[in-house]
Amino acid sequence: MSDLNYVGKSWRRKDGPDKVTGKAVYAQDVKLPGTLAGRILRSPHPHARIARIDTSRARALPGVKAVITVDDTKGIRHGFVETPRYPADQEVLARGKVVYVGEEVAAVAAVDQITALKAVELIEVEYEELPAVFDPVEAMKPGAPEVHPSHPKVTDPYANVGGKSETEWGDVERGFAESDYVREDRFESHLRTHGYLEPHVTLAHWEGGKMNVWTSSMGAFVKRAKLARTLDLPYSAVRIHKTYVGGTFGGKIDLYSHEYCAARLSMITGRPVRIVATREEIFSAYRHGQPLAMEIKTGVKKDGTIVAQQIRVINNSGGFRGSGVVVIFLAWGFTMIPYRIPNLRYEGFSVYTNYPVRAPQRGHGAPQIRFAIESQLDRIAEELGIDPITIRLRNARLPGEALPNGDNVHNAGLADCIKVAAEKSGFLEKHGRDRRSPPQGTIRRGIGIGVSAYMGGTLIYPNGSAVIVKMNDDGSAVVLTGAIDIGQGSETVISQIVAEELAIGMDDVKIVSSDTDTTPQDIGAWISGMTYVTGNAARQAAGNARDKLVAVASERLGVPVGDLAVKDKVVYSTRDPSARMTYREVIAASVATRRGDTVIGEGYWRTMRDEPNHPSLATTKGRWTENYAFSAQVAEVEVDIETGEARLVKALTVHDCGFPVNPALVKGQIDGQISMALGHAFMEEVMTKDGYTLNPNWLDYRMPTIHNMAVSEDADVITEQYRVGQPYRTKEVGEGLVSGILAAMANAVYDATGVRLNSTPFTAERILYGLKALEFKAKQPKPKEKVGA
Amino acid sequence: MILFDFELERPDTAADAVALLGRLRGDARLLAGGTDLMPNMRAELVKPGVLVSLGAIAPEAPATLPDGSLRVDAFSRLADLERSGVVHARAPMLAESARAVGGNQVREMGTLGGNLCQESRCLYFNQRHDYQFAARCYKLGGERCYPFPTNKRDTCWSVYMSDVAPALVALGADVEILSEAGGRRIPVEELFTGSGLAPLALDGAELIRAAIVPAPAPRTGWAFHKSTVRGGLEFGMAVIAVTLALADDGKTCAGARIAVGAVRERPVRASAAERVLAGAVPEDARLAEAAAAAAKEVNPLPHHGFTKRYLMDNIRVHLRRTLARALERARGARG
Ligand SMILES: Cc1cc2nc3c(=O)[nH]c(=O)nc-3n(C[C@H](O)[C@H](O)[C@H](O)COP(=O)(O)OP(=O)(O)OC[C@H]3O[C@@H](n4cnc5c(N)ncnc54)[C@H](O)[C@@H]3O)c2cc1C
Repeated sequence: MSDLNYVGKSWRRKDGPDKVTGKAVYAQDVKLPGTLAGRILRSPHPHARIARIDTSRARALPGVKAVITVDDTKGIRHGFVETPRYPADQEVLARGKVVYVGEEVAAVAAVDQITALKAVELIEVEYEELPAVFDPVEAMKPGAPEVHPSHPKVTDPYANVGGKSETEWGDVERGFAESDYVREDRFESHLRTHGYLEPHVTLAHWEGGKMNVWTSSMGAFVKRAKLARTLDLPYSAVRIHKTYVGGTFGGKIDLYSHEYCAARLSMITGRPVRIVATREEIFSAYRHGQPLAMEIKTGVKKDGTIVAQQIRVINNSGGFRGSGVVVIFLAWGFTMIPYRIPNLRYEGFSVYTNYPVRAPQRGHGAPQIRFAIESQLDRIAEELGIDPITIRLRNARLPGEALPNGDNVHNAGLADCIKVAAEKSGFLEKHGRDRRSPPQGTIRRGIGIGVSAYMGGTLIYPNGSAVIVKMNDDGSAVVLTGAIDIGQGSETVISQIVAEELAIGMDDVKIVSSDTDTTPQDIGAWISGMTYVTGNAARQAAGNARDKLVAVASERLGVPVGDLAVKDKVVYSTRDPSARMTYREVIAASVATRRGDTVIGEGYWRTMRDEPNHPSLATTKGRWTENYAFSAQVAEVEVDIETGEARLVKALTVHDCGFPVNPALVKGQIDGQISMALGHAFMEEVMTKDGYTLNPNWLDYRMPTIHNMAVSEDADVITEQYRVGQPYRTKEVGEGLVSGILAAMANAVYDATGVRLNSTPFTAERILYGLKALEFKAKQPKPKEKVGA
Repeated sequence: MILFDFELERPDTAADAVALLGRLRGDARLLAGGTDLMPNMRAELVKPGVLVSLGAIAPEAPATLPDGSLRVDAFSRLADLERSGVVHARAPMLAESARAVGGNQVREMGTLGGNLCQESRCLYFNQRHDYQFAARCYKLGGERCYPFPTNKRDTCWSVYMSDVAPALVALGADVEILSEAGGRRIPVEELFTGSGLAPLALDGAELIRAAIVPAPAPRTGWAFHKSTVRGGLEFGMAVIAVTLALADDGKTCAGARIAVGAVRERPVRASAAERVLAGAVPEDARLAEAAAAAAKEVNPLPHHGFTKRYLMDNIRVHLRRTLARALERARGARG
């Protein structure tokens, strides 16, 4: 297919009009008569044994309909990861002890919010406080307060290790021995959160043996599976209904306690129960992203070729495993993709502490590890007298390279990305300019680059997506898809694909989505694979419907299938355009002659048809995806050297996203990621003290506003190769671009000031005192050259 | 959501409002724009039984008094100050400081009086205390100070973060206070106790009726700066307001007023810095010297994650720049 009418074009969002006119229904907007208000009692201690819980006074309060503790549950655990090595580890309410401030201890349902609050206050809990630990390095020390015992398969003599990822190839020691230059650095990233505007909210209604649920999520089928399991109900007894979602960024996957509690309280009371998390709860008790500490040792040849790398990553996973054992695996993955590393040793530890459980956050390990690796690479380049572009090109993987895990990068565009980024930004002319010849005044400008790569749609439950396309007898179509539109635009993209394949208009496509009873299973919007996986399922389903239409028309018109084409809801002969049938006629004919076949297409897709499982989190063995997207990003920053105040002025993203099905949506993803990354770099931090959150609100947790947005330019490379024949070979674009730009900002701050920051965020204070330390150093008398060695 | 019951009164006049306050004593709170009070009620930092809304009382337009001073109704919305031609002409710094507050929505609701009477802030204080910091701190009548555990019970280092107050202090403004007993007029600076426990020197039955900004002396310049992390929708890291007057010679500084906000329990006058400038020719080095003196005497409290050391550096640099801008304006001002 060479002339494309729908895919590849910036169609207006399908959900746009509903959202801007306020018609879009979010979980909070669903109103059911008789709904009770649910509320959660949370732990006031970071670590304590629960000696006694007495709910009798709460139950006795008029207006209270139900109170639950863990004793009212089936005791079935759940976890972000549920594998034989890492079985589900968290109960829906605390049992025996609490391991973080805000942990869910009990829940109530009452006639209104005020009664629910009073009831929560009437629950008596006797705690025996236990020593707590917050720093993962401290937590690993033998004898540290034990949050949970270390994983039985981890043999290192460390405490609180919930899991470990470990891998090695080549011969690292020899690699270092053969290197001309070896350097070691330690980097740290800080605690940030997703900042979705719509809070967590769940409405659950148990009615006639069915659990109906409206909840703000990133994937209905994952929610159904976990909710059904913890409630001990068959999957078919739980229905997750469609709602619009007001942002997630990784923070709404997995099961959350309030979802279980709303459902359980509804089962007990027989009435709908709604629980809405307050913003304070979200900041202080819900799941944030994951801070990593990263030690990196790298050996290179004189020309900058990487010979060996040894990496040790420690995360702070909070009170349960959560996605902690995933992020240490992913940090390896995001290390391995962009550059050739002939010898590598990697170990990642996921460490329990007395913090809330952690979730993925857009990029899930990539921003942290790319920040570290790319910062170090710039230091190495400087040390060797090589520029940042050359050293990256020297190590960038080329198309067709095999990765150590058996994957292939296929037509990886990384080298092109780096070249285009360098050219378009005038990188080499700008780099080092203000340090070489400081301008008048106090503002210094710097430029930096970072690269990254991201996988799309790897295997994890439910592993595949299916789509059904039902033709209406007027030739329009209804698409049934489990895909959830969390703002990324999946409904628009799926409509474009169906419109293209069926040659019908965008308005002829009606999407019914994200309802576990009425739509087919779907991977969900959280593994960067929806356009690729669900999009290809949609392509197949629409193609399947089209093939049926063409087959019927072929019979009727007496024209071979190969001579028929479709356009504007018409099947016609390419040899004799007067031989034609409208879809309406074709469908009527199909019903008449094919025993009522109304023409329904089905399609399904999964990443890597032959790979049985997802890779091993512990050993990294196994393939990951067939779909790697690459990027190079350039940041230009301005720093006020008297105050340390810094800002991102301009960002350039050069990416290889495969075929851009909707370029405006791609641009939206890029700009959103630039904004998120600059918040990461300069503004956002969840501040804590002893496990308590100090800034649980939008004022003191500073996300960027529109005024902080930098100029964001972008370019794609090698997408032209996809235009012909492969318009559905899409790659990843929704989360891979928060990473290179973070590293680029760190490198740009250095370029502007000479201050190298090994920790995020790059606060004015850190930059200013970095500058003062440099000034102080410059004033010290130079040590005399040593004579001899 | 506010999770307790309360009554709402909507008096038609300011006199009725103070009468109500007098009658209800302690249990009542004035409700102006609600942008400070509502979040604090939601967090249950205050639990008034009655709210006395000022919503039915239309503010008077800003007006010039016979002595040339400007009278601004305290019930005025900040957005109205921002947009008022008279305020821009007579007290542009007041307009600029109003514009520095929060974001559009906050300024459309928030009032001048409410801004001056806002509660002081501290990371440990400004949240619900259900399961975090559940034992009450001194400011909430409890037995501890979370951020400064060695503080005694009479010391609370929450900071007072109004953007408008430092501007009014630097402008030498007064406020008109109304109670059942009648009106009184005090310098803005006397509105503050200097204690984080109860930052305002108002009795619960009084309200602020107006602010009065005197006409500036000849050759006076002003400048305002709010240090922030993201440039808006944010309380200040430090707020700096200055006025600077030149003598007849157009060179010597006749006097300056320097106020720094958001870093102490009250907006602080930097008097030592003012003395460095008064009578001197304000060359760059002088301005720098004054700014350094101010950073020291203001003695900022570490707050909202900013260290004392950084706040001092930030104030020193930005105050020097702010003074330079004020000086430039003074040179351009009418003699
Ligand atoms: C998101 C957000 C951002 C903000 N950012 C800023 C900021 O950057 N800078 C800043 O200075 N403030 C900020 N604020 C605080 C506050 O909104 C403003 O200070 C606002 O001006 C308060 O005015 P109000 O009319 O809404 O006060 P209200 O909330 O109605 O009242 C505040 C207090 O003052 C009392 N009060 C009100 N009017 C009077 C009166 N006439 N006499 C005596 N007492 C009175 C009330 O009883 C109450 O105790 C912010 C608030 C929010 C929610």
